[in-house]
Amino acid sequence: MRQSDTMAIVESCFHGQPASCTHNCPFGLDIRALMDKAANGKWSAAYKAFRNAVIFPAIASRLCPAPCKSNCQRADIGDEPIDLPLIEQAIIEYAKKKTAEKYVIPPKEQSAAIIGAGASGLACALALAQKKYQVTVYEKSEGWGGELREHRDFGIFDEDIGLQLSAVNIAWQFGHEVKSIDELAGFDVVYLATGKSGDDFGLLSSHDQTLYTTASAKIFLGGGLSGAALMDAIAMGTAAAGRIEAFLQTGKADAAVTERRDCSRHVEHEGVENAPRIKPESGGSYTEDEARQEAVRCMQCDCAACMASCDMMDSFRKKPKKIATEVYADTQASSTFSTRSLTRETYSCNMCSHCKSVCPEGINIGELFAMSRRNRVETGVAPFALHDYWLREMDFHTNVAAFAAAPNEKCEYIFYPGCQLGAYNPAHVLKTYEHLKSRLDCGIYVGCCGAPAFWAGDYERLNANVDYIRKSAEALGNPVFIFACATCETMFSEYLPELKRTSLYELLADSGGLKPGSALTDAAVFDPCSARGDDGMMGAVRRLASAAGVRLEELPERNRCCGYGGLVQGGNPGMFKKVADSRAKMSDKLYIAYCANCREVLLSSGKDCVHILDIALGLPQSMEVPAISERRRNSSFVKTELMRELEDEVFKIKPQPWDGLALVIEKGLAEDIDRKLISEDDMKEVIWNAESSGEKFFDEADESFVACLSRRVLTYWVKYRVLPDGVFEVCGAYYHRMSFSGAGE
Amino acid sequence: MDTGRIKCVLCNEGLVQKKTLFEYMGRNFSHEVPCCPKCGKVFIPPELAEGRMAEVEEQLEDK
Repeated sequence: MRQSDTMAIVESCFHGQPASCTHNCPFGLDIRALMDKAANGKWSAAYKAFRNAVIFPAIASRLCPAPCKSNCQRADIGDEPIDLPLIEQAIIEYAKKKTAEKYVIPPKEQSAAIIGAGASGLACALALAQKKYQVTVYEKSEGWGGELREHRDFGIFDEDIGLQLSAVNIAWQFGHEVKSIDELAGFDVVYLATGKSGDDFGLLSSHDQTLYTTASAKIFLGGGLSGAALMDAIAMGTAAAGRIEAFLQTGKADAAVTERRDCSRHVEHEGVENAPRIKPESGGSYTEDEARQEAVRCMQCDCAACMASCDMMDSFRKKPKKIATEVYADTQASSTFSTRSLTRETYSCNMCSHCKSVCPEGINIGELFAMSRRNRVETGVAPFALHDYWLREMDFHTNVAAFAAAPNEKCEYIFYPGCQLGAYNPAHVLKTYEHLKSRLDCGIYVGCCGAPAFWAGDYERLNANVDYIRKSAEALGNPVFIFACATCETMFSEYLPELKRTSLYELLADSGGLKPGSALTDAAVFDPCSARGDDGMMGAVRRLASAAGVRLEELPERNRCCGYGGLVQGGNPGMFKKVADSRAKMSDKLYIAYCANCREVLLSSGKDCVHILDIALGLPQSMEVPAISERRRNSSFVKTELMRELEDEVFKIKPQPWDGLALVIEKGLAEDIDRKLISEDDMKEVIWNAESSGEKFFDEADESFVACLSRRVLTYWVKYRVLPDGVFEVCGAYYHRMSFSGAGE
Repeated sequence: MDTGRIKCVLCNEGLVQKKTLFEYMGRNFSHEVPCCPKCGKVFIPPELAEGRMAEVEEQLEDK
């Protein structure tokens, strides 16, 4: 992974860039930051920031036509723009510390002549003199100011110019009209700023609008002479000084040219209250309090769409570019010397693409975390225990419970229910297939799309699974895959784009022959995150529910992840619960889900939720969540039924010696153990191992046994009692990820 | 869990605290946990597994 790979993903993120008001500012003033200082009454700090940008604050505050106003986003919500000029004047009035910018650097020998002491010439002279070049200003009149000398406020401007120039040494040649440029041959560089219709010494036609250079190598030109308006002329004087310095140091003016980034974009302002412009009571200028109140109206426009609406990003408070930097930095971390800084975030992302859907630039932060997970697996530093349960599930569903067949060897369509549909309710798979088979030349493929491997960052496993599916599809005549699970469909579109796809719900809604039925009257459809953008699938589910007479209410947002995505439960159980609980509370109505995992997560969060197939097929609606081992038994049952029907064979699952153990577990405890993702089969294996080897502990306190078994990356412990009839009563189960290698001395 | 009343069934010995080597995320460290004084079999009580051990596991994953 290269840093450019991660940065490329967030390149167009404009969080933290100046707001749109700055876009039109001749000086590129960071108005948002200035308003923050003003709103907090930090007048001296505001003055410094303002002065550094505009050079002559009194001139800018009174004469700038404030093009920022036309790009103030207050207008987007129907308000008047921020009155920046009046706030600027208040900054000048209330700042206690008003001094000139002073540079403590050694003087330079190179010399510059400025022709014209108007605003542009002065700005250029000031900037060069601050850098300690030997500056001489030639002005034909008897003082500075150029056209400003005629202004009624010249007294104020004159004082401001005097203040800003008070800390530099400049040789003034007032009353000296330069007749020929040859007079200045002794200078290393010249800035020609003679003002509107001033003498251009024949150089205006060769003026470079970007570099401010002319046909004469050491003569630069700018300000009113080049056609610039007053504020642009001042900004140009400062910019010219930068180009002149680059020329003096390197012989090339372009070294100083930096492109200003386009910051014209507006952001969403949902929920922001309207606020009328503060009018000065005196009629002229703001009081200190009025200026602060007006600055408070600044909405501090900055895009934070992803951070504001993603639970994970809101929780970790890291900005997109920071995340991109850290994804790369973590690949370089050496555990001996440095710490990875993004691990928890990496394994807390639902990878639901919600960030992409709200980002004006369509940036998917989940891509960064996917890169990070993949890199950690490939370099062997992933916390493998976090995804162990789901990878074992994937192994089970791609091996033991996998099954693909068609009534006539090859088929036109194939139903791909996904690994969890039958695990939660075998009827969802078997009844659906029965219906499809009655109307189409349709086979069935029960397996796993590989999403757990993708979420774990295990691409070796993912690619092997993809290859297997590709070969299986080929053997079946590359039929059209019918998906019941939007995640499977998304995975296929990404990794098996050559296979034809359709959604089960569209087929069911459009094909007829069904009699949807439900006792439900009102409900809300909970669309899975993986169905985002799939209007066909989302619409079909609504049609199926409506056909059954269910009145539907739309949730405030569609396609919010239920919490299951990215399998964050292992890495951040708190975040998983927070997301799940929040989704469960989106509406008081019962939910209709069409992702088996969404339904399980929502039911486990106490939300009543049915599967659309219950409604479409008229099945009994249960709010029970089967336990882990029951889900596996359900999957095996589905395969048994399909094998018997399509291949006339009996499915024999490889028996385990612990299969026959009888366990009893109190219901609440069983649910608690299930939440820890410890299955009944895991517990049976621990007990069987302990009972057959004798390797166990006895707790005299409650006459129970405790035993453990290490499997892959986890060690499971079970506390149990042996009941008289050979039944084992489970008193508790837990696990840890660390391994131990026996006691020392 | 009071580990003073726990015995290793095979050795019929009460457990004692012993330094034990642990490994996680490529790091090794030792900690005193209840063990059988005779065969050395390690016992991890649930409070330790779901408490301090889980905290350390998370810290090591974050490193």
